[in-house]
Amino acid sequence: MKLDNTDPYEPELGASEWREQAGDEQNVNKTGTTTIGIATDEGVLIATDRRASLGGRFVSNKQVVKVEEIHPTAAMTLVGSVGGAQSFIKSLRAEVNLYETRRGEDMNIEALATLAGNFARGGPFFAINPIIGGVDEEGSHVYSIDPAGGVMEDDYTVTGSGMMVAYGLLEGEWHEDIEMDEARRLAARAVESAAERDTGSGNGLVLCEVTADGVDITEYDGFPDENEL
Amino acid sequence: MQGQNQQQAYDRGITIFSPDGRLYQVEYAREAVKRGSASVGIRTPEGVVLVAERRSRSPLMERDSVEKLHKIDDHVGIASAGHVADARQLIDVARRQAQVNQLRYGETIGVETLTKSVTDHIQQYTQTGGARPFGVALLVGGVEDGEPRLFETDPSGTPYEWKAIAIGGNREEIQGYLEKEYNDELTLQGGIDLAIEAMAVGEEDGFPPEGLAISTIATESGEYRTLELDEIENRLAELDLLTEGDDE
Repeated sequence: MKLDNTDPYEPELGASEWREQAGDEQNVNKTGTTTIGIATDEGVLIATDRRASLGGRFVSNKQVVKVEEIHPTAAMTLVGSVGGAQSFIKSLRAEVNLYETRRGEDMNIEALATLAGNFARGGPFFAINPIIGGVDEEGSHVYSIDPAGGVMEDDYTVTGSGMMVAYGLLEGEWHEDIEMDEARRLAARAVESAAERDTGSGNGLVLCEVTADGVDITEYDGFPDENEL
Repeated sequence: MQGQNQQQAYDRGITIFSPDGRLYQVEYAREAVKRGSASVGIRTPEGVVLVAERRSRSPLMERDSVEKLHKIDDHVGIASAGHVADARQLIDVARRQAQVNQLRYGETIGVETLTKSVTDHIQQYTQTGGARPFGVALLVGGVEDGEPRLFETDPSGTPYEWKAIAIGGNREEIQGYLEKEYNDELTLQGGIDLAIEAMAVGEEDGFPPEGLAISTIATESGEYRTLELDEIENRLAELDLLTEGDDE
């Protein structure tokens, strides 16, 4: 008889399927990517580019949406292997739903980030480096999850191959009491800057606003003018 | 003859329903709980009180070795009635589940979630061939999100939430007393006293101080605390329920 089947480092459902490895590194779609999360008092702003590439050398898709809702009030970005990130998101969604139905309340964002860190550490063999942005009773949170399972909260964070370019802009412009409107324009400019210089990033912009009311994702084909944001 | 054999078979296999839909082994397990000494749980706005009777078979036995109250995590305790050895297995399930929750989500487990993970475990033993059910009932008390919570588990694996409850021997009488005397505005101290008085129903002489084990989980601190022997002695004396210990 087996009861304690909840290994804290693995998803409760579909773990074996999840562990499957694709062998051919060359043909794995990766999002070189620039993804940005900024916490404000009103909620979290997440911005990403739209490029998928094979090893950063060939653009394999120009309209990827690299941010997805994983919780009623949280979203995650896809950074690294597309397959790894997609199954990661599916597993997290299943866990979030099980938690809610069993306990009658949504997982808070710290728990969500802890769980994501555990899975990144114990689970997939594809390197992923997502950002989780969410809102709970305590307020707005932005976490970055590194491929070894490191979980770090910050006021703003960037992951992906374009991070250095994007950080350059954010370090100059971010301030303590930044509001959602300003964060939206700043993040859009940062993604656009990264797209100019990083071969793994480009092809347009996706913005995602997470508030206590939910997750709202907007896709742009190119980089819109500031007054269109 | 054959008919009689078939009827008897219903209480042999745990996984077999009787024709009228009963699981005899589960019912027998409930009887095992009644044979145990009583435990009482009381929920007050200031916290949860768990009290268990510690019976000693002989003055030569060390009473402390009779374990009826168990700390599960900083904020949760469990009292048991019935087979102590069975209880220990469930206590360990609960302790591990509390730590799994901490590892998995980085947060302390809720009392309700913890109780349900224990009852799910108990339930498996009512549906698995070759196993027998747990001959024990538990009271799970703790603080969750700043609210005191008190749950009961029984051998069928059903969780119930209570304001005040008795399990084990003399359950009906003690429960009757609690139903008469309980009110929603008890202090934690008042809860301890009520629990002791309830335990004393049918034990007119009262108890020696080492005959009771008492723990609290206060709402404010959210921490499990076991009362010292002299504190229990003080309460018993105050309530005029103190008897000489047979250990002396």
